[in-house]
Amino acid sequence: MDNMTTEIVFHNKKRLYLFFSLLLVFLIAAGGINMTTGSMNISLSDFFNIIFKHFTETTQGFIVWKIRIPRALASILGGAYLAVAGLLLQVFFRNPIVGPFILGISSGATLMVSLVMLTALGLGMPGLNPFLVTLAAFIGAGGAMIIVVSIASKVKSGVTLLITGLMIGYLCHAVTSVIIAFAEAENVKGFTLWQLGSFSGFKGTELNIMIFAGGLLLILAFGLSKPLNAFLLGEEYASSMGVNIKLFRILILLCSCGLAGLVTSFAGPVAFIGLAVPHITRMIFSTSDNRILIPGSVLLGGTITCFCDLIARSLFAPVELPISAITSFFGAPIVIILLLKRNTSV
Amino acid sequence: MKNTRPVLDIQNLSVGYKKIPVLNSVNLCFQKGVFVSLLGPNGAGKTTLLKTLAGLLTPISGIVLVNGKNIADYKRTELAGIIAVVLTEKVSPGLFSVVEFVAQGRYPHTDFFGRMQKKDLSVVSSALKMVNATELANRQLSNLSDGERQKVYLARALAQEPEVIILDEPTMHLDLKHRMDVMSILRKMCMEKGITIIASLHDVDIASKISDCVALVKNGAVTGIGPPEKILSGNTVAELYDFDDANFNPALGSIEFCGNGRRGKVFVAAGMGTGAVLYRLLVKKGFQIATGVLHTNDLDYYVAESLGADCVAQTPMEPVSEDLFNMAAALVKQADYIIDAGFPVGGQNQLNTELIAYALAQGKPVFTLRKAEDTQRFLKSDSENLIACQNEIQLLDKMNSHL
Repeated sequence: MDNMTTEIVFHNKKRLYLFFSLLLVFLIAAGGINMTTGSMNISLSDFFNIIFKHFTETTQGFIVWKIRIPRALASILGGAYLAVAGLLLQVFFRNPIVGPFILGISSGATLMVSLVMLTALGLGMPGLNPFLVTLAAFIGAGGAMIIVVSIASKVKSGVTLLITGLMIGYLCHAVTSVIIAFAEAENVKGFTLWQLGSFSGFKGTELNIMIFAGGLLLILAFGLSKPLNAFLLGEEYASSMGVNIKLFRILILLCSCGLAGLVTSFAGPVAFIGLAVPHITRMIFSTSDNRILIPGSVLLGGTITCFCDLIARSLFAPVELPISAITSFFGAPIVIILLLKRNTSV
Repeated sequence: MKNTRPVLDIQNLSVGYKKIPVLNSVNLCFQKGVFVSLLGPNGAGKTTLLKTLAGLLTPISGIVLVNGKNIADYKRTELAGIIAVVLTEKVSPGLFSVVEFVAQGRYPHTDFFGRMQKKDLSVVSSALKMVNATELANRQLSNLSDGERQKVYLARALAQEPEVIILDEPTMHLDLKHRMDVMSILRKMCMEKGITIIASLHDVDIASKISDCVALVKNGAVTGIGPPEKILSGNTVAELYDFDDANFNPALGSIEFCGNGRRGKVFVAAGMGTGAVLYRLLVKKGFQIATGVLHTNDLDYYVAESLGADCVAQTPMEPVSEDLFNMAAALVKQADYIIDAGFPVGGQNQLNTELIAYALAQGKPVFTLRKAEDTQRFLKSDSENLIACQNEIQLLDKMNSHL
């Protein structure tokens, strides 16, 4: 009897390892392809030479080290963070059709970034301090989130929540457009480019912030996976099993806003990754266990976003498409499918 | 019962939402291993009380002592090792197998990442076994029926290894079989594991048969508490739920519906259990019933009383007296129909056969469920005037067509 249960609980352990290794392989492949393809063809042997011998002097070396690697890394990290942010929000709202973009969190971040980039608030800074933009995006994301949460605590219906998020998105867009109308044309161009969303042009410091701040938040998120699982049963059950709900709510919001804000501040609003990736991960592993879903979403989010970035910049090269255009093509149908068969919940 | 320290002790408690009290000055005490049912109408505050007991709501005033210590002084994980809950809402956690779901109950006992040790696994499997759900272990939670789900919820609570399980209407939405299953599982948890069960229930009849103690909740207060045998009289239950046309009978442990009696008066000559089903049928079809002469230890007597029938009764073991016969005869005279339920005739109710003869003499329509040879034996030539029926359904048909 005991043996049987042991088997039941861990029956998918082999499958688990298999899927994780497969996802890892895909991620490395996506990253590799992203780093080696582009307007300048760099053969695989040249690429490895550049990597392992640290050539930075040649043009090829410069392109690999200063452009392609940061870009590939940024898209992988960005995708991973957005996916985890989306997963956390889906558990938090116990609603499968929420994500940072849908809930107006990206719009909130956009609004705050527009304030920094387009008004006197940010003009005192020489260049644009990446910390400032990040901070603004985080505050914007957090602000929008707090509004959504305070409304969500009053209404239970998922659809209401969704519409609330959309409305907050519209409001933020409205304010942003007013700010744009008054802004100087030169600044607007930079902001518009940012708003289209792209993983290009990541510099060393920005990448470092992404890696360390995001990494910390990821670790925090993974540390929350036990209470996240309990939270799936509902707030009252979670509380009755020993979850400190107040602290948990704060941590989960901090984590998801931080991750979504971080990516949005550097890469602009990226649609649908946060919504669709957790779902695909859930389907692949056929579980709702967040101890598996968090690392799974990291790998899958990284892979998918990296591929989307590759498509965005190579489909109509040299014209680069906005990353959100590609992610929307991939994400929007998934949302429709989910709405049609609502039985796959969180 | 030994006077040990209660698991839960409520002192002068007021509970409610947003500082608006629903229940006031509640004093209750729950001993280890007892089964307590909360009874009362919808909206009386049972759920609020239960949630406060579970520490999910903060009391407006007063205190809840858990093993002698104020519930507010417990850490959440500590409390989770003592009290588990099963709530009314359907849980839809997504893609969880039954065993994974039940394993969630180990939350207060597992490490930071919720990893399951050998002990946890054996607790989970014995919890599943206790609720007879071992064969469900590999199924997806979302594919279970309501009844199976409820058992799995019980297993999850059990896996928490609590001293108290608090349940909010555990039998809601369940069919009769699963209702009985759930109740007997709860009873078993109580008896075998010494777990204190506190449940709000709607079935007074089930509650009275299964609980050690019932608490009645109405109009913002706990109006009574004690063993069901002492607390649940017909009147208290009728008052608790504001019954207009129903009665609870503690001896039968069931609720009987009184009819409006618009279709006329029927006198049923019954006894020794021959009347019980017939009374219910007639009341259901809208007849007002009178019956007699019954002995007060007769099942028919209990049912007739609960149904609000005019009943002429004799103390047990005594033969039917002349006075009582005359009272019954008066009822026969008022009745539109007379029915002979086919009661066995013995020394003590011999006179009841005379009632039938009397009814015939009055020219009343008399129906009988008795076999022809028996009627001849008791009523001789009069038996030809009886309208013989083979069963209750035929009886109703014949009553309908008689006019």
